[in-house]
Amino acid sequence: MAEELDDLTDEMKAAVGVETSRAIYEVTTQGIRTFARSVGYTDTKYYDEKTARNIGYSGLPSPPGFLGMPIYDPNSGSSRREIFTNPFNRRLNGGTEVEPIEQVYGGDVLEAVTRITSLELAKGRLGQMLIQSNETIYTRQSDNAIVAKTRGTGISY
Amino acid sequence: MSEQIYWDDIEEGQEFSLIEPMDSQRLVIWAAASGDFYQIHYDDNYAKDNKLPDIIVHGALKGMLVGRLLDEWKGEDGSIKNWDVSYRGMDPAREDLTVWAKITKKYQENDENLVDLDVGVAQPDGTQTTPGTATVSLPQR
Repeated sequence: MAEELDDLTDEMKAAVGVETSRAIYEVTTQGIRTFARSVGYTDTKYYDEKTARNIGYSGLPSPPGFLGMPIYDPNSGSSRREIFTNPFNRRLNGGTEVEPIEQVYGGDVLEAVTRITSLELAKGRLGQMLIQSNETIYTRQSDNAIVAKTRGTGISY
Repeated sequence: MSEQIYWDDIEEGQEFSLIEPMDSQRLVIWAAASGDFYQIHYDDNYAKDNKLPDIIVHGALKGMLVGRLLDEWKGEDGSIKNWDVSYRGMDPAREDLTVWAKITKKYQENDENLVDLDVGVAQPDGTQTTPGTATVSLPQR
């Protein structure tokens, strides 16, 4: 177990607001169909572009929450930078928030920029924990529109 | 396509839900859709080596099941303003999960007809593992 901290370190305090990753996400039509299938949608607008256009969409719409996949590069490491030294080794995903803003379509290319929005120490049944909140803003490259924001909480202990 | 629901017709306290089977095939499709290939979600031996009773459902998949429930409920003319979930417990695969929502507040703000909801995911015995909240905008008749 890591040594207990009395307060956030100066490095941690300085990390709040700092960009931790920047990545390009491709929203492909096949990605939309796979996501829709995995979540259990049966509405054909998420599978068939013609159906979607007939009800007013300008392409194959992405279901809420699907923002594509980052382009995989086998020769690069993680796009996530370690901004501060984290003394806690174990990690849990604490939760997710999704704020859809604009309809996303197959063929869109999004830039996802993640920043740390808060860091705090807490005590729970697992002992001392570091709770990190992040926000990712997704911007469509073709028109610079912000299409969604997601917020996540990571727990280290 | 789901039938359109209108803000005028809903009431605080109303609930809606769907039941989803969580078999291993579902989790493999989610792995492909999300890029989350951590083996505790589809490899029995790997899961057991990590002291888990079985493969477990991805947390993010549960969050997106809540998104689907809201998306299908709001209809074509509604919109989801936001939703959030907390991952409070693991859900073993090969069981049905109930994805639910309950209307907690109905109000108008900035020319929008809004509905706040409690949302969540429950195991067959009723254990709640993924509580959250949501706000949805609905059309008025």
